Amino acid sequence: MEPILYKVFGAVVTIILAFVVGMTYMGLSRKITARVQNRVGPPVYQNFLDALKLISKKTAIHHGIMQMMGPAFFMVTSIGSLMFIPVLNDGRFFSNLNFEGDLVFLLYLMVFGPLGMALGAGQTGNPNSAIGVTRGLSQMVGFEIPWVMALVALMIQYDTTSIVGLMEAQSASGTWLVFSSPFAFIAAVLAMLGMFRYSPFDIVGAPTELASGPVAENGGKYLFTMMSSNSIFAFVKLTLYVDLFLGGADNLIELLIKTFAIYLIPMLYGLVSPRYRTEQAVRYFWGWPLFFGFLAIMYAVVF
Amino acid sequence: MMNDKNSQKIVDIIQNYARLHSLFVLAYGTGCGAIEIPPTMTSRYDAERFGIRGAATPRQADVLLITGYLTTKTLKRVIRVYEQMQDPKYVIGFGSCTINGGMYWDSYNTIKVLDKYLPVDVYINGCMPRPEAVIAGFVKLQSLIREGKAEGAKLYKDNLEQYRENQKKVIPNWVMPEYNW
Amino acid sequence: MEEIKSKIIERIKANFSDAKNKSYPGDRIDFSVNKETIPSILFYLKDEMGFKHLSHITCVDWLEENEFEVIFIIWSPLEKLKVFVRTRLDRDNPVMDNIDVIWRQAHTYEREMREMFGIQFNGLEAPQDFLLEDWEGMPPMRRDFDTEGYAAETFFERPGREDAKDVREILTERSGEIVPDFAKKYSR
Repeated sequence: MEPILYKVFGAVVTIILAFVVGMTYMGLSRKITARVQNRVGPPVYQNFLDALKLISKKTAIHHGIMQMMGPAFFMVTSIGSLMFIPVLNDGRFFSNLNFEGDLVFLLYLMVFGPLGMALGAGQTGNPNSAIGVTRGLSQMVGFEIPWVMALVALMIQYDTTSIVGLMEAQSASGTWLVFSSPFAFIAAVLAMLGMFRYSPFDIVGAPTELASGPVAENGGKYLFTMMSSNSIFAFVKLTLYVDLFLGGADNLIELLIKTFAIYLIPMLYGLVSPRYRTEQAVRYFWGWPLFFGFLAIMYAVVF
Repeated sequence: MMNDKNSQKIVDIIQNYARLHSLFVLAYGTGCGAIEIPPTMTSRYDAERFGIRGAATPRQADVLLITGYLTTKTLKRVIRVYEQMQDPKYVIGFGSCTINGGMYWDSYNTIKVLDKYLPVDVYINGCMPRPEAVIAGFVKLQSLIREGKAEGAKLYKDNLEQYRENQKKVIPNWVMPEYNW
Repeated sequence: MEEIKSKIIERIKANFSDAKNKSYPGDRIDFSVNKETIPSILFYLKDEMGFKHLSHITCVDWLEENEFEVIFIIWSPLEKLKVFVRTRLDRDNPVMDNIDVIWRQAHTYEREMREMFGIQFNGLEAPQDFLLEDWEGMPPMRRDFDTEGYAAETFFERPGREDAKDVREILTERSGEIVPDFAKKYSR
């Protein structure tokens, strides 16, 4: 087969895989939440039904061109960052667009999705959306710093800025990065709590006080786009964590087990936590996560 | 080439299946009925197993659940909320006050028959209806959607002038955007 | 408690010549005054006697005497006593002084009374609409306002509801309660 066709086919399969896995994880999280609250809960495929219903809505009102651009921006960012993540270890089929230095590029790209959402929310003119956007951006200022510090520690320690390079370093040394640089892992996991926006950090979409925040004016197809890009983005983040800290995955089953294990951390932490206020969330991220980030950098420099 | 009518029928069946199993509810809780919604949604009665879920804004919602009496002042807001919702949309009238006025049948500012002002798909009787009755109402709405009979939005669009006349009768100061979808 | 009550009554009577007292058992003291005295007596009770808390302001429509009665209920947390201050207004021209400079929360009650009974308060600065919206005609809580007629005329009626209308008459017949004539006419 032509190599370019092979690559395009691989990219399409990756997108479909990310969509299905992300949506199933969202459904599983609803089911697990329900079981924790002693309920029966919706079926696991509930999110697919929601998505199908949302695209089969007959009308979709928009307030201007930027509101259409916002969800599209988010979708493009999710798929774009998916393209730079090596999904499996051997890297033939799912390697997509890796290059030297893609970790730095990914750090930059992952901020774009929320920015697109902010642009779209600004057009709607809903005050709740505006408040949600400001909250989201200040929360991002909080968790980006420990997250970047953890990644910088990894880059210093292994002298590479490529995700594939880090994965090769793990397979060469035989230990996962969880064990060889534990402080970076702790800082990154604490930052992940904010990235997934589960309960103590769900200040952006807070449905009871902000009426779901930035997506308040989006229904139908817009909400479907937001929802599917959210699930693809969740898959991106989970796979990135598995690649960086858990030594990647050799086949899809291993990938699913590892990503779900990572996914359980923010979800179960969210189930037992009430919501923070914005300044509390920022203070949280600038406390222990930042400390572990510093520790990780010192560990990387000294050893 | 497939027959257009038959293919449309298949699409309808699939879409209706998705619609009836994923109802996003916007509860308009002005009356006393709002207190019956939390038990319906939480552990004891767990409406989420039917795919019923709360929506935060009218744009995302499919079902407008009107809980209890509506004064002329709140009727204006309810009409506004209903018109912001995206098609297909359904209305559930909840409690006797929406059916015939209930205990407010002689009040000077409470409307008595809701379906003169908004197209109601399902009424839930009772004062107050228990969560079991609420879930029964939702199941009734689901069966109506499955049969393709929940056509409230179409009814509203077709008889818009008559509904407007009724609404303007109780709301003298009418400042509302045009309804055009 | 009775000693404190009589002391308070004496002090008020010495200061306000038009204050008429009616005795009630328990922690309740009752004064009737002219409407011109209302701000000064409330101010005196608040500042000199320690009745710091305004519990409620309410209005009674005495249709047969063609008067409104406005009642201020104030409470002393120190003495654990409450004072009712009543005043009568002419029903055709119900005007009295605004007291929201004494208690800020009186503002809400005054707006409600202005809307529901049509009582005008001198110097009350608030928009006309409070609970009702775009209301025209007679204020709805006046007793000569025909609520049932208004509701029948303005709102639709579900067929089948007519038989429930004489429930009250049936109930009074069954219980043997004697309903006075004016109540038959105005209250249901």
